[in-house]
Amino acid sequence: MLLREVEYARPASVQEALRLLGSHEGARALAGGQTLINVMKARAASPDVLVDLADIGELRGIELASDGTVTIGAMTTYTDIVDSAEARARPILGEVCKQIADVQVRNRGTVGGNVCSNDPTNHLPPLLVAVGATMTILGQGGERSVPASEFFLGVYMTAAGPGELLTKISVPPGKGDGFASVPIGRDGTCIVNVAASLDSGAPTLAIGCVDAVPVVLTPDSAAEETVRVAVRGANLDPPSDVHASADYRRHLAEVLALRAVAQAAGRT
Amino acid sequence: MEAVSSRTITVEVNGVQYEREVEARRLLIHFIRDDLNLTGSHIGCDTGNCGACSVLIDGVLVKSCMMLAVQADGAKIETVEGLASDGELNGLQQAFSDHHALQCGYCTPGMLMSATALLRENASPSEEEIRKGIQGNICRCTGYVNIVEAIKAAAQ
Amino acid sequence: MTETTVTPERPLVVEEGESKAGFIGQNIPRKEDKRLVQGEGVFFDDVKRHEMGFVHFVRSPYAHARIKSVDVSKALELDGVYGTLTGDEVAILTDPFFELSTPPGANIKDYALAVGRVRHVGDPVAAVVARTRELACDATELVEVEYEPLPHVLDGEESLKDEVVLHEEAGSNTVWSGVFDWGDFDAAVEDADHVVRIERLHFDRFSSTPLECSGCLVEFNRGTGQWTIHGTHQMPGVGAIWMAPALRVGIDKLRFISQDIGGGFGNKITLHPQYTACCLLARKLNRPVQWTEWRTDQHTANTHGNERTFLDVTVPVKADGTMLGFSVRAIDDCGAFPRYEPLGCIIWAQVTPGCYRWRNVRVDFTQVCTNKSPVAPNRGYSRMQHLWLTERIVDIVAGELGLDPIEVRKKNYVKHEEFPYETPNGCIYDSGDYARCLDIALELIGYDSLEEKRRDAESRGKVFGIGIGSTLDSGTNNFGQSMILNPELQFSGNNEVATAKLDIFGEVVVTLGTVPQGQGHETTTAQVVADILGCTPDEINVRAGHDTYWNSNAGLSGTYASQFAVTGLGAVKGAADKLADEMKQLAAAVFGCGPDDIELVASQARIKGNPEAALPFMALGAILNANNAGLPPELDVTLNVRYVFRPQFEKPDLERKFGNLTLTYATQIHACAVEIDPETGVYEIVDYAAVDDCGNRIHPQIVEGQVHGATAQALGAATHEIFTYDEEGNLLTPNFYDYHVPHALDMPPMKTGYIESTSPFTPLGAKGMGEGGGAGIHAVCAALQNALGKKGEGPIVWRSCNPYEGVWDLLQKPEETRKLVSVETR
Repeated sequence: MLLREVEYARPASVQEALRLLGSHEGARALAGGQTLINVMKARAASPDVLVDLADIGELRGIELASDGTVTIGAMTTYTDIVDSAEARARPILGEVCKQIADVQVRNRGTVGGNVCSNDPTNHLPPLLVAVGATMTILGQGGERSVPASEFFLGVYMTAAGPGELLTKISVPPGKGDGFASVPIGRDGTCIVNVAASLDSGAPTLAIGCVDAVPVVLTPDSAAEETVRVAVRGANLDPPSDVHASADYRRHLAEVLALRAVAQAAGRT
Repeated sequence: MEAVSSRTITVEVNGVQYEREVEARRLLIHFIRDDLNLTGSHIGCDTGNCGACSVLIDGVLVKSCMMLAVQADGAKIETVEGLASDGELNGLQQAFSDHHALQCGYCTPGMLMSATALLRENASPSEEEIRKGIQGNICRCTGYVNIVEAIKAAAQ
Repeated sequence: MTETTVTPERPLVVEEGESKAGFIGQNIPRKEDKRLVQGEGVFFDDVKRHEMGFVHFVRSPYAHARIKSVDVSKALELDGVYGTLTGDEVAILTDPFFELSTPPGANIKDYALAVGRVRHVGDPVAAVVARTRELACDATELVEVEYEPLPHVLDGEESLKDEVVLHEEAGSNTVWSGVFDWGDFDAAVEDADHVVRIERLHFDRFSSTPLECSGCLVEFNRGTGQWTIHGTHQMPGVGAIWMAPALRVGIDKLRFISQDIGGGFGNKITLHPQYTACCLLARKLNRPVQWTEWRTDQHTANTHGNERTFLDVTVPVKADGTMLGFSVRAIDDCGAFPRYEPLGCIIWAQVTPGCYRWRNVRVDFTQVCTNKSPVAPNRGYSRMQHLWLTERIVDIVAGELGLDPIEVRKKNYVKHEEFPYETPNGCIYDSGDYARCLDIALELIGYDSLEEKRRDAESRGKVFGIGIGSTLDSGTNNFGQSMILNPELQFSGNNEVATAKLDIFGEVVVTLGTVPQGQGHETTTAQVVADILGCTPDEINVRAGHDTYWNSNAGLSGTYASQFAVTGLGAVKGAADKLADEMKQLAAAVFGCGPDDIELVASQARIKGNPEAALPFMALGAILNANNAGLPPELDVTLNVRYVFRPQFEKPDLERKFGNLTLTYATQIHACAVEIDPETGVYEIVDYAAVDDCGNRIHPQIVEGQVHGATAQALGAATHEIFTYDEEGNLLTPNFYDYHVPHALDMPPMKTGYIESTSPFTPLGAKGMGEGGGAGIHAVCAALQNALGKKGEGPIVWRSCNPYEGVWDLLQKPEETRKLVSVETR
């Protein structure tokens, strides 16, 4: 219930952070800590070194480009997004962040932490996939961009590998988005969530909580029957756990997909 | 710089400076309760869900069981012990008592800090906003009814 | 939930008991608040001792296994570890804890640590003490335990077969078994026009999970052999009865201290195993040791509410909806160790017919052990499970016969004019007016506009339902009911203690035998004493908390069984009356008149009709304590009194299982409206009304707070809170991440109403009401049933906890639960 011994450093720059992450095999980046500290308390994972990113200014901030692209620093908190005028270029971002847990978690939890931990029940992985976000990763080899649809690789695994850092997330402008979920209690952990976007014409759906990574569907149209067929055709194989059986998750995925698409259609 | 397993940190809590050596792994809530002997903030769970440990760090409401003490180095921390002045309850504390917003009192310090953060940001919150503001604080005694009433009253 | 909570500014009071001027009945500011809102309460984990060690337990990862070896050597090598304790040591140093049951349950051997076997995931096997909390965790990882896993049993009905037996010494998993048979059930069936049969109902496992976990700080005085335990124990007297013989010491060697406790709800009563382990460690290591339970440990190992399966429910009914009684076979799953059990096997009988005038009841009751967390008297203990049964019966019978569940309730309720009402097994319901409470609940929930609400919900694609939950909170136990279970037990009646003194400077100081965990005992005590002594509550110093050194406790002292307003305040009243009497005698001696000429008013003792002749309290205190020359030798006063309140009980008739088991019966009648999303099973409680009748309310705001809190807990238990196990016996909801309790946004708008039916049996006309009867659970089940069912069709709500998927299943496969019910018409 308490952490194992760990070493801690708080670098002032991205370069220093990368150096620290690279020089210790068991090093992990510490962002908001809303997931990692809990994991370490349970001793489910015990990194040897924590590299605290709190002092690295270049990882924070939300910028709005002239073409409407919103670029979000990885250390941006959910509260920052909710409060941000710039982020309103893509309103769904703030609306979803506002549903995450509670004020305390939103004040510390970061966008980068949410996507890099890639817990299957997280809100942001399916959302960022649906809106066509792009992740920027910095490693010893330099910087590279990865589309959200290729960023999530497995349970707790993303394209940001050991010794690398997600530095920012870019989201194109748009309003034709929807997000539907069934949480356990208001603002609770999601049993199933679905993000949908109609901004590029045909819908992009990303279903969360049903697999290690968001399941992406691109049905031909937003028509109810077409979406339904697409979800069924995905042959989802969700996990069963204390909150829901596989069958129930499969059913919710279908219902929520329709609702997310309808919500998106209502805003296009 | 190198990573270290313990370091000396300086924190200001309710206006008082403290300097202590602390293990990197020590949770902020244990630092506050055991090292600084400020036992007003409480622990109610293992997973950061109950909010009994809520404090303000540089004016921001956080759950101190999900932070390491070393992360608070250089920060200004506000805990429940800082709300009253010379034993005089502040308006929020008085409202909690007037409206019977506490029974066992265990969630109360965290609840007061959440309410403090809410009212600083939003001087007249709606009922929904109040509930949203304390959504991260579990109470098992009151059903939240009187807590919401107390915060409403304090806001006026 | 977007509506504003509508609680009338002043709760709707229809009928108040005779009101007198004074502080009783007023909402005075709570004495506890000033320290608690400043974070200056003293909870056990706030107490520090120099050089104390922190305890962490090594716990079993298996549901059932033999312990082959425990090796602590590596843990002891870790720098900062002070010592360890293992089951082998415990078996040598202590005797097994006292068991309440008859054989085979009597033969269970229960120790402070697992001896020879572990019987549930989380069962403590060894303890490590270290300089810091973190080191204690590190050290437990170094303890090597070799287990030989055994088959396990996780289901009550399965456990009955005794294929996997938990306790070899008992030879069976059955802790207790018996048949209760009152009236003439067979004749009732003969007489019936319909017989409704319900194959199965299940009350799920949950608990009130107090926010503060359990724990203690234990110091051992080597010179005197005295242990001092700063802890959270709700019934220290009973704790000592378990611990002292186990530790082979006298009761007085165990001193229990608590000041503030962060909720208990019955889950801080069976702490004797962990406390005993800590006592042994404090003595062995010659230093104070501190144990703070982790949330995960509270959920896995300490403790759950009783889980109960009801089989073959048979209900004879007349054509006009009069129910004649019921019979049922109940299987109670008490987890790995009984401890406070099998008392749950009789405590339900306090409310045998629920709120109803049913005269013919047969209950075949068996309690079994399973490889799950042990249970404790969780809020509503055993009555809640039984009352849920009676409410399900009423709703299902009404539904199957096409009758209005409101009318069926009113027809079958005990009537106002029938109180005091004797139930078929001899319990006396003291007072109440159930029909009136129901009417108020219906008014508060806007029952008249039911159809409009239904149409509105349907227009939004939702399915709407309203349900009622009628319950009783039976309070102040007659422990003689334990003898019905085991005639060898030497427990009967009840008692509570209080002391009151007038100090040399005229301060009134009161100490309590109760152990409050938020119920405001200091405050209501001050109200009662102030009214008797003729002063203000501010002038009454009520010592915060409980300390067995204060000599204000008896064997059964504590806070449990919804009894403070009766036993606690009964003791307070008795002590205050005695003190008042002595003050008058002293004043009379000083003034040279008779005690009857003296009155206590405005913090003075004065001659009636002559306010000039007055002695302030300070004078009385000073005279007796420091200036007493010349007082008459026959004046027998000390101004330091101790009073034991003893409710009037008889020992029950053991053969007929008949007798009065509780002194008071508070009423809770709740109404609940739900809207279900038929596409997902997700539902919302959109409106809620709670009507309470606990006799004369000492502090109405405190009563209302209990109603709010009990309702919130019940709603959690109805919707999400359930302790579910996987096939290996791992608890899947061991923390608040997975075990979802209501947060602020989850609460429905709640309206409350009150009537006061004075109890004829209690010193203040008040009744205990702190537990409630789980009315929220019954009301939600009823509302879901109302939404989903139609006469004789549709699914049956057969479980107490109905999470979204549960409702989805009811919607998808109604035939599966429909077959649980059958109606035979004669």
